[in-house]
Amino acid sequence: MIVDRATTAIVVDSTSDLPGYLADDPSITMVPLTVYFGEEARLDWVEIQADEFYERLKNGPILPRTSQPSAGAFLEVYKRLLETHERVYSIHLSGKFSGTVASAEVAAGQIDGVRVVDSELATGGIALLVARLVELLDKGTAEDEFEAYIAHFLKDKTFYFLPTTLEFLHKGGRIGGASHLMGTVLNIKPVLTIEEGVIDVYKKVRGVPQALELMRDGLVERTDAGSTVRVSISHALNLPLADHLKGLLEGIKDRELKIMPYSIVGPVIGTYVGPGAVALGFIQE
Amino acid sequence: MASNAEGSLTVARARELLAAGFAALEERKQEINDLNVYPVPDGDTGTNLALTVKGMVESLAKVPADLSEHDVCAAISQAALMGARGNSGVILSQIVRGAMDVLAQAGPVTQEVLTRALRHATETAYRAVRKPVEGTMLTVLRDMAEAAAHAPETGDLRAFLGQVVAEGWKSVERTPTLLKVLADAGVVDAGGFGLVVFLEGAADGHAGAKTIIATHFAQPAVAPVSFEDEDEGESAFTYCTSFLLSGEGLDKVALEERLGRLGDSLLVVGDARQIKVHVHTDEPGTVLGLVTPMGVLTEIEIDNMKEQTAARSRRLAGSKAAPPVDAGLTQVVAVVAGEGNKALFRNLGVDLIVEGGQSMNPSTEDIVRAVEKAKARSVIILPNNGNVIMTADQTVGLTDREVYVVPTRSIQAGLSAAVAYDKRRPGAENAKEMRAAIEGVATAEITRAVRDSLVDGIQVKAGDFIGLIDDKVIVAGTELEPVVEDIAARLLDGNKGLLTALLGDEEHAGRAAAALEKLRDAYPLVEIDLHEGGQPFYPVLLSAE
Repeated sequence: MIVDRATTAIVVDSTSDLPGYLADDPSITMVPLTVYFGEEARLDWVEIQADEFYERLKNGPILPRTSQPSAGAFLEVYKRLLETHERVYSIHLSGKFSGTVASAEVAAGQIDGVRVVDSELATGGIALLVARLVELLDKGTAEDEFEAYIAHFLKDKTFYFLPTTLEFLHKGGRIGGASHLMGTVLNIKPVLTIEEGVIDVYKKVRGVPQALELMRDGLVERTDAGSTVRVSISHALNLPLADHLKGLLEGIKDRELKIMPYSIVGPVIGTYVGPGAVALGFIQE
Repeated sequence: MASNAEGSLTVARARELLAAGFAALEERKQEINDLNVYPVPDGDTGTNLALTVKGMVESLAKVPADLSEHDVCAAISQAALMGARGNSGVILSQIVRGAMDVLAQAGPVTQEVLTRALRHATETAYRAVRKPVEGTMLTVLRDMAEAAAHAPETGDLRAFLGQVVAEGWKSVERTPTLLKVLADAGVVDAGGFGLVVFLEGAADGHAGAKTIIATHFAQPAVAPVSFEDEDEGESAFTYCTSFLLSGEGLDKVALEERLGRLGDSLLVVGDARQIKVHVHTDEPGTVLGLVTPMGVLTEIEIDNMKEQTAARSRRLAGSKAAPPVDAGLTQVVAVVAGEGNKALFRNLGVDLIVEGGQSMNPSTEDIVRAVEKAKARSVIILPNNGNVIMTADQTVGLTDREVYVVPTRSIQAGLSAAVAYDKRRPGAENAKEMRAAIEGVATAEITRAVRDSLVDGIQVKAGDFIGLIDDKVIVAGTELEPVVEDIAARLLDGNKGLLTALLGDEEHAGRAAAALEKLRDAYPLVEIDLHEGGQPFYPVLLSAE
C-alpha cells in the first residue's frame, strides 16, 4: 500500500497543539480533550482558546482539571474517515500522562484500519511527528517506510521544556522525576525532559537565559554536525522566550535546522505546565 | 637496633619535636597571619600551620608508644596528611612526608640523613603543587636543602640545623624579590616564614617541649577520641556541647583550662578572634555561662549523647524499622561557613557539610570524615574556598569512595555547582556538569581589610571595605555602600541576568542589603536574589550569572 493523502488520514488529539498550517490540513482530524473549571466543561482548542485559558488560570480561583476523549468519540471519527480512506494513523499524547491513547486503542480495537501511535510526547513534540508524516503523505510513501519513520521518531526524538514554575506540574500530579525540586530556593530553573513518556529532569541551572542555553546545548550534544535536524518550538503564550530560544538555535551554524512554526501550548497541556513555559522538540533525520 | 640514643626516633620524641615546632608557630601565629598578601580576614597561614602541627601532635598521642622507627615515620606522615589545613598546611604535610620517607629507611639520624631528608622533602613538595611558584615556602625549603648540602660535616647536629635555619631566614627575606605580589604588599612570604619558624622551633625546642605538651595538649594520651563519629564516642558525660565563640583577644589556653574542668573530649581551636569549642560535659549550662561574657556565641549545639546512643541501639536492634535513605549514586561534601549558607546547600540536596572555609580551614581529616559518612559510592567535594582546594585534593584515595573535587573557590560558586548536582547520576557525570556550572559564574566578596596594603594596584588601609572579584582586589573605600555598588556594577557587566547575594552575620550586612535593594531600580532587568548566608567576616558575598 502507498501511504498518501488519498489512502490515509491522520487523527490527533488536541494536545498536539498543531500550528495553524497543520490544524487546517484537510488530512488531519483533531479530537479534543476537555478542560473543566469546576463544573464548567470546555473542549480544548474548540470551545476555549489559549489566551482565555491562561487568563483564567492566572486570575481564577479554580484549578482546572482535564479529561480524555471517550473511546466513542474516537470511534465515531475513525468510522467516518474509514468511509473515504483505507487507513487511519492516530497519533497521541504520552500514555503516561493521559488515558487518551488508551481510549484511542479501545476504539481502534473495534474497527479495522486504525494504527494508534503513542508519541510519548506532548504539544509541539507531537506536532513535530505529525508535520513529517504529512510531508510523507504528500510524497506518497511505501507503508514500511512510513512505519520506519515512526519507529525512528519514537527512538531518536528529544523533548525539553522549561516551566516558569513547577507549581502546576505538582498540583496536576505530573511532576514525575522533578518532584525533589519542589520548594527549592535560589531560583532554580530545571530543564525537564520526557523520557519514555515520563517527565524527568534533564539539567538544572539558575536563571531563564541559562536554561534556554542548556536546551540549545542539548540539541548540539544529541545531534551530529552536518546533519539535518527537524525542530519544534512551543510556548505557553511566551513569545519573547520562544524567540530567544529560536535565536539561540539559529546561532548553530554547522547543522541544517528546519524549525517549524511555533506551537502554542493549549489549555490541556497548559493546565500542567502553567503559563509562560517553553518547549523544544527535535529529531535528527 | 643500630641507632644511638640521640638519633633514634620514638613516638614520644617525635611528639616533643613537633610540639616545640607547634609552640614556636603558636607564639608567632599572628605575625605570620599578618603576612598574608590579601588583607582579608580568612585563610590565615599562621593559624593553618599551627593547627596542622597541633593536629599532628594530637594524633601521635593515639599511636602505640613502642612503634619501630619506620612505623613512627609512617605515623608522622599520616598525622601530617590528616591534620593539614589550608594550602600552606597541605604543602607542609608533603614536606613532612618527603622527609619521613627518607628517615624511615635511614637508621640513625645524621647530618647526611637530614640533608637527604630535606632534599627529598623539597622534591615531594614541588611535586605536590600543580604550578610551583618561586618566592614561596617551596623556595625557602629548597634554599635550606641546598644550604644543608653545602654545610661542612661537623658531627654537631644542632649547629648544622642552626645553619640550615639561618639560611631559611635569609631565603624568607629574599621572597619579595622573587614574587611581585609580596613586594607590592610589603611582606615576605607567610608560608616560608612559617616553615622556618616551625623548623627553628623543632630544632632547638627540646628543653621546653615537655612543658609545651603539658600546656597545650591537655588530653592524656590514653584517651583517644573516636574518629568514627565524635558525637557517638563512649563518654562519661551526657551532653556533647559545641559552639563558635567570636570576640576580641580571646584567650584559648585559659579557656581550655577552665573548660577542661567541666568535661572531657575537649577541643578548642581557633585564634584570638574566633574559637570553635567542642566538649563532652554534664553541665552545658555552666559551659555556656562561662563563655557568654567573652564574646558572641553562634552555632550552639547541645546533643544528649546517652539518648543518641540509646536511639542508635534501638535502631540497630530493630534495623528494619528505619526506612533506608536513598543516597543515590553520588553525594556531595561541601565546606561551608554560616548557618544560612548551610541551609541553602541542604536545600540543594547537599547533606554532608564540613564547617569552615571563611571562619576556619578544615583539615584533611575533617573532610575525610564527611566523605566516609556518604552512603553513595561517589562523592563530590566542594571546597568553596581557594585555601581549601588542596586539602580537598589530598583526600582523594584516602577513603574507599570515588572522590571528585570540583574546585569551587567561593561559597557562591559552590552553590552554582550544587544546583547542577543530581544524585541519581554517576560521580564523573556530576563532576563534569558541576564544573561546567561554575564556568559562567562571576563571584565577588566584600570584606574589611585587616591591615594596610598595596594589592593588585589598589592602596588599601586597615579597616577599609574592600571588594574582590574572582580573588582580586578591585576597589577599596571607607564607606560600604559605594564599594557594594561598584562591585555589583562590575559583576553585572556582560549580560548577566541574576545577582545572588549572601549576607553575612556581622554588623554591616544590613547596610550591604540596603545598598543592593537600591540596585533594583538601576538594573530593572536583573533579578536580585538576597539570602541570609550568615558567614563571618564578609558582609556580603556576591555572584552573577
